[in-house]
Amino acid sequence: MSRHVGIVGVGQTHHARRRTDVSQAGLVREAVDRALSDAKLTIEDIDSVIVATGPVLFAAVNQPEKWVVDAIGAQLKPVVRVTSGGGTGLAGTLAGYYQIAGGLVDRVLIVAYDKLSEGALQYSISTLYDPFWGREFAVGIMGFSAAYWRARMDTLGHTEEAAAMVAVKNRHNAMNNPYAHVKKEVTVDDVLKSKPLAWPIKLLDVPPISDGAAAVVLSSERMAAKSTDRPAWIHGIGYFCEADNAPSRSLLVSEPLAIAVRRIYRTAGITNPRRQFDLVELQEPYTCFELSYYESLGLCAPGEAAELIRSGATQLDGDIPVNPSGGCAGANPIGAAGLIRVVEAAAQVMGKAAGNQIPNAKLALAQAGGGWANLRGVAVLSA
Amino acid sequence: MGDGLESEKHKMNTGKVAAIASAQTELRTAWSGAQHIDLISAVVTQVFKGTGLDLDDVDFVLNSGSDVLDGRSISNCGFLGAMGAHHKEESRVEEDGLWAALYGVTKIASGAADVGLILAYSKPSESDVNLFYSSQCEPFYQRPVGFDHRAASGMQAQSYLRAHGVTETQLANVVSRRWQDAAQRGRVAIAAVPDAEAVLASVNVAAPLRKLMMSRPVDGAVAVLLASEDIARRAARTPVWFTGMGASMDRHAFAARQPGVLEACSVAARRAYDNAGWKSVRPAVAEVSASSAASELMVLESLGLAAPGHGIDLLDGADVAVNLSGGALPADPIMATGLVRLSEAMRQLSTPGLYGLKAPTAAVVHGAGGVGMQTHCAMTLEV
Repeated sequence: MSRHVGIVGVGQTHHARRRTDVSQAGLVREAVDRALSDAKLTIEDIDSVIVATGPVLFAAVNQPEKWVVDAIGAQLKPVVRVTSGGGTGLAGTLAGYYQIAGGLVDRVLIVAYDKLSEGALQYSISTLYDPFWGREFAVGIMGFSAAYWRARMDTLGHTEEAAAMVAVKNRHNAMNNPYAHVKKEVTVDDVLKSKPLAWPIKLLDVPPISDGAAAVVLSSERMAAKSTDRPAWIHGIGYFCEADNAPSRSLLVSEPLAIAVRRIYRTAGITNPRRQFDLVELQEPYTCFELSYYESLGLCAPGEAAELIRSGATQLDGDIPVNPSGGCAGANPIGAAGLIRVVEAAAQVMGKAAGNQIPNAKLALAQAGGGWANLRGVAVLSA
Repeated sequence: MGDGLESEKHKMNTGKVAAIASAQTELRTAWSGAQHIDLISAVVTQVFKGTGLDLDDVDFVLNSGSDVLDGRSISNCGFLGAMGAHHKEESRVEEDGLWAALYGVTKIASGAADVGLILAYSKPSESDVNLFYSSQCEPFYQRPVGFDHRAASGMQAQSYLRAHGVTETQLANVVSRRWQDAAQRGRVAIAAVPDAEAVLASVNVAAPLRKLMMSRPVDGAVAVLLASEDIARRAARTPVWFTGMGASMDRHAFAARQPGVLEACSVAARRAYDNAGWKSVRPAVAEVSASSAASELMVLESLGLAAPGHGIDLLDGADVAVNLSGGALPADPIMATGLVRLSEAMRQLSTPGLYGLKAPTAAVVHGAGGVGMQTHCAMTLEV
């Protein structure tokens, strides 16, 4: 019953710590222009717009889609904002996907962004926690992430060295990404010796804080040919959550990601992810989470992530390259980070990755997530 | 409805979707004894009654609320348990709940899900509504001059009254009637119904609008259960079918909007009616949102229920029952107001006897958002 939906255009900004040359609206326009141009369309061809951002406290404009609408020429179109923590770009794509799959419209523009230089990031994140029970002890994102990693270290062998290899790989890949914010290679030793922030998390385990935007154009099958003869078809997409009873949550595995993977792999016919996928783009953003996701996404068995990164299989020339774009280590405009994963994965299967194109890539996995590690989703894209 | 169902060509080309149940807390100026999660879980518990369904049957949860009103980043994260969303697909649509319903309808129409729970809640008593709106104004041209929602509403009202010779007394009559309706039939806590004199005597907010001519912010929560055709026919006494949906966002720059009319509302309505195949509009029931008495008349005209300048004629003896619930003027749970309209219209269509209605078959519901009602959503419902 569902109509096929494809990505027919992608775009992103040049990401940086501070994009002082543009406002939030200008940043969004830059990504939208690139995506529309890539899709050989103008804003007139778009039926509906979805804006995805991180929490509005990040940049101190409430309901910013209502400002952005003028800058992208979308006045009088349906415009709505979907926001779901750091993975909001994927959540926005999901909403757009259903507008087409459900038969409401033919073309949807998704744009995701954050201009983190304009707000107090960790302060804003800290307001995530319950005012009565959470804020007494929980601050920012790093603390609980360190707790997760610490637990996984003993049981699953996610060592500091293994995580450092993730930093080395992703920063190496970002060197060739024209849009990346951070371009500086590091060694395992550099990472291990970098300043501890919340042990075992150290400075070089952590992504940068960036200004940036990304956009994709989704199209029904009927209208796709006008843009490209090689869309990135969405074979499955989902975004699941876990409620907030921290004491009963597993520190070892992301339950919402496990659910998303089970459901979406079934929909998309994925039975052996490591063999079937040509590449994976995932939203780490800390090195330790990439190790965890190797296991959750079925690229290896639980407890084998350290061996997987050590083997080189997830490098550019490995059998299952992970984050050929450099991932969040290359750029981390949080609200856009999930959509950047979709953009990079789609560009790979469309054969036009801006940086490290994986030869003959036909099937890609994009993963994103947010909240207090309790919102997780995946998308399967195919040439 | 008459000839409304003749045209099939614009109909959504996928599965039928119905609203099968709704639940709402009383709307009060302050629910001081209840937290957000208490209001939310109250409606989530109640919405399944009589359907034979429970939380296990829900495939996804979509919700509307505001981080800014809640004083909390990614506030949906903190309410996932209360929303019954644990381990389900969940997203926050940070706009009025009617947009969350729109998303849910497309998801079920695509065939990907059968049952969706749509939630919206508001607790403006814990926040500052003026700041909620003024923080939506863009920072370069609007904020420095103190432009805000009150100014926008006042200027729109001035243009509207001037263009059509509508008087402030007529606006006061609209307000008094809506409060009467809310006291009589709405689920709204009302201490005393103001008469027109009291409305005109209330404090000046933005000429010509008096305080009581503005919608009154209230706390509350609402839940609506959506289902695919097969489930709806078995679970609902009276399935209320979504036959048309449209949305449109106006320009952010207030000076670029058409004065004294709500252009985006007209566009949204036209999309919904085209979608539904309604050639001539004659729903028996209309439940609309408005942030002032003047904008309520403008909305009714934009929806095609009255000629320009004649919205006031719908107050008495019209063939369409407008805001029998009282509408948004006496009770505006910001972010939930439009979804409350859907819930109220469902009740009127399924239990018309309670409202003195004679077998109505169609309704139009309307939601809005933003400074000076920048964005609008319209839906046609049929039984």
